[in-house]
Amino acid sequence: MAFKYGGYAGQVLEVDLTRGKTFNKPLDAGLVRDYLGGAGFCSRVLYDEIGPRTRPLGPENVLIIAAGPLTGTLFPQASRHVVAAKSPLTDIWGEAHAAGHWGAELKFAGFDAIIVRGRSPRPVYLWIDDGKAKIKDAKRLWGHDVYETDAMIKEEFGDGSIKLLYIGQAGENLVRYAAVMNDLDRAAARTGMGAVMGSKRLKAVAVRGTRDIPIAKPENYMKLMDEFHVKMLADPFTQGRADYGTPSLVELMNEIGRLPTRNYQTGVFEHAEEIGGKTIRRKYLVKARADFACLQRCGRYTCVPEGPYKYIGGSPEYETLSCVGSKCGIGDVESILYAHHLCNRYGMDTCSFGGTVAWAMECYERGIITPKDTGGLDLKFGNHGSMVQLVHMVAFRKGFGNLLAEGSYHAAQKIGRGTEKYVMAIKKQEIAGQDGRAQKSMGLGNATAARGADHLYGFPVLDEVGFDKAIRERFGAKYLPEIGQKLNPKYKGLMVKECEDFAVVVESVGVCKYGTMIPPTFFYPDILGALNATTGMGLKGRDLRKIGERIVNLNRMFNVREGIRRKDDTLPERLLKEPSPEGPPKGHVVELDEMLDEYYKLRGWDLKTGIPTRAKLRALGLEFTLKDLPRRGAA
Amino acid sequence: MPYLYGDSLKCTGCRICELYCSLCHERVLNPKKARLRVVRAEPAIDKPMACRQCADPPCAKVCPTSAITRNEKADIVIVSEPKCIGCGACVEACPFGVIWLHPDRKVAIKCDLCRACVTRCPVDALSVVTSEQFADKKRVDLVSRLKPILMERIPVPRG
Repeated sequence: MAFKYGGYAGQVLEVDLTRGKTFNKPLDAGLVRDYLGGAGFCSRVLYDEIGPRTRPLGPENVLIIAAGPLTGTLFPQASRHVVAAKSPLTDIWGEAHAAGHWGAELKFAGFDAIIVRGRSPRPVYLWIDDGKAKIKDAKRLWGHDVYETDAMIKEEFGDGSIKLLYIGQAGENLVRYAAVMNDLDRAAARTGMGAVMGSKRLKAVAVRGTRDIPIAKPENYMKLMDEFHVKMLADPFTQGRADYGTPSLVELMNEIGRLPTRNYQTGVFEHAEEIGGKTIRRKYLVKARADFACLQRCGRYTCVPEGPYKYIGGSPEYETLSCVGSKCGIGDVESILYAHHLCNRYGMDTCSFGGTVAWAMECYERGIITPKDTGGLDLKFGNHGSMVQLVHMVAFRKGFGNLLAEGSYHAAQKIGRGTEKYVMAIKKQEIAGQDGRAQKSMGLGNATAARGADHLYGFPVLDEVGFDKAIRERFGAKYLPEIGQKLNPKYKGLMVKECEDFAVVVESVGVCKYGTMIPPTFFYPDILGALNATTGMGLKGRDLRKIGERIVNLNRMFNVREGIRRKDDTLPERLLKEPSPEGPPKGHVVELDEMLDEYYKLRGWDLKTGIPTRAKLRALGLEFTLKDLPRRGAA
Repeated sequence: MPYLYGDSLKCTGCRICELYCSLCHERVLNPKKARLRVVRAEPAIDKPMACRQCADPPCAKVCPTSAITRNEKADIVIVSEPKCIGCGACVEACPFGVIWLHPDRKVAIKCDLCRACVTRCPVDALSVVTSEQFADKKRVDLVSRLKPILMERIPVPRG
């Protein structure tokens, strides 16, 4: 019964919602040796099970929720799980990650992953209690927001320690950027995984467990973890994160001209301080609240004590402050805090929501979208009342909200009239709070990310502010100083490639990008040490790097099969042709083509098409994808 | 009488203490086998809870096999696992809910004040204190807070 390796629960829960059945299956040891778990596990299972004929919101789509071998362990920030499926927003590879306590509890309940297939005839939720799963009726939960659903299920079982993952009304109403939420305010936000869950009529997954996560080498394990904890706490970044969380990035990004403002028309926002980390800490912070095994505690609770935007709950991250705030020209911080709270309750990605509203606002100011379209709603930049109203309208698909629920790409396709020009999306997904003109690596990383616009897939941030020491360690001293200069496109192909390979490993073992990507405290040798002590797999450093490259290439092949080519690895015209108007990046655009050439060369992908070469796929053990390569001349 | 105190103002709810506790006592990672629990109550409460090593422990009084005793030398309340029959009477008797049954072995487990968690809490939310120390600290804190008012009553020369 016990699994071959430590760290893993050793079981996968397969759920057939059409037939209303669940199956406990043993975890495939060969598969986790090649793909680890988490994001890597999903990449392989979904490649085999779905494809171009899969409709993202059809019953044939497959939704996976997976933890990694380090999720629920003592590795710093080992709290992550991934939700993956074909995306209804981008129509390609979809995945989203979240922290919290749910992923750890899934493993204590005896499972590494849940694979959900089919569609239930009526709303249901899953109840997983110590290795046993049951599909239960969710009729009375349907229509309730995340906070209410959380309270109702805990009350039903009379146990406040149950961990929950759920969708809100946005997921039920198939908003294309609906999130899968957990532990109230944690969001697997991007690529519309909540809509996929809603299309399956799966409202929630409740877990509770008393099982062990076994440790392969307990004698070394504690000493190693003690060392990691000391190292993490000693990092000067940790205290800053603990004090301010990511909102302090508002001020920093504004300083380097990377804070997207008024739908990316500029990277400098005159109200940055009013919506930044210092203001939020001084006026609204309740306390820092950590996710499972997290030493950095960037999660926090905030509250607006009175007025129309009154609430208490989870606090927004930098991306929300930028997408719902500066991108929409909004400097009223209480409205942003409240809109974030509402998005969490309804289960909706704040990045895509804010990006879509910002697109509509620019079109409105230019007179392309009129009050006739919006139902009289005034959408001038900075109108926070309208923005907050739109949260409700999108979640329930009311009036103009019904159009915005499609995301800016699909909405612009529907409305036409030249509104397409102002869509700040890549592969149909809105860019988060990152202006690539002010940091070239971020421009490239957004263009190459497998799930559409995404700063996190590679998360190249070491050129942001003086991480030369880590750059030397991770990429080599010979690339300095250019690689560390954020406005210089040189060597950014290398940086993004290496960052992507490492980031997917981080997301496959179940730990956080804070502590691995930034601050760059832990790298391959540390992950390797933890993985081997925990699992006993006996992996080598080169194995781990190869696994990372394998997962990135498999995600790429998933997208190649969907028709994605070099032409799609691009940025909105604004970032390629309109020079940044002010601040340090003034006069800069993203020199995408030269960076892409370097990136493809290093990846072993065809320069013209962006398709992985046969040799590369073979070298990575991805022979099973060769059959899906387009025939010569057809690419 | 020292006991493990968890400060809910400092605690962030990361539960690293639960993991270390289970690792030290059981060589596995399993919060349900830990001797302390962090209770999360919305909104914004995280409170580590563990045995208070009572002077007159009700768990010991109700134990039918006398498995629970107060060890005066170590100054803690101890469960003798061989004597424990897993009846759970102690669980019912404890007013704090800080003794429970091991999920596999079904014997009562509770904090033995080993301090493995105390040194490893990333925010110093855990400490081993006595009620005397606690009261001392409270008195001193209160007087410091009142100092400006108290100072006004002292006839020191004011310029």
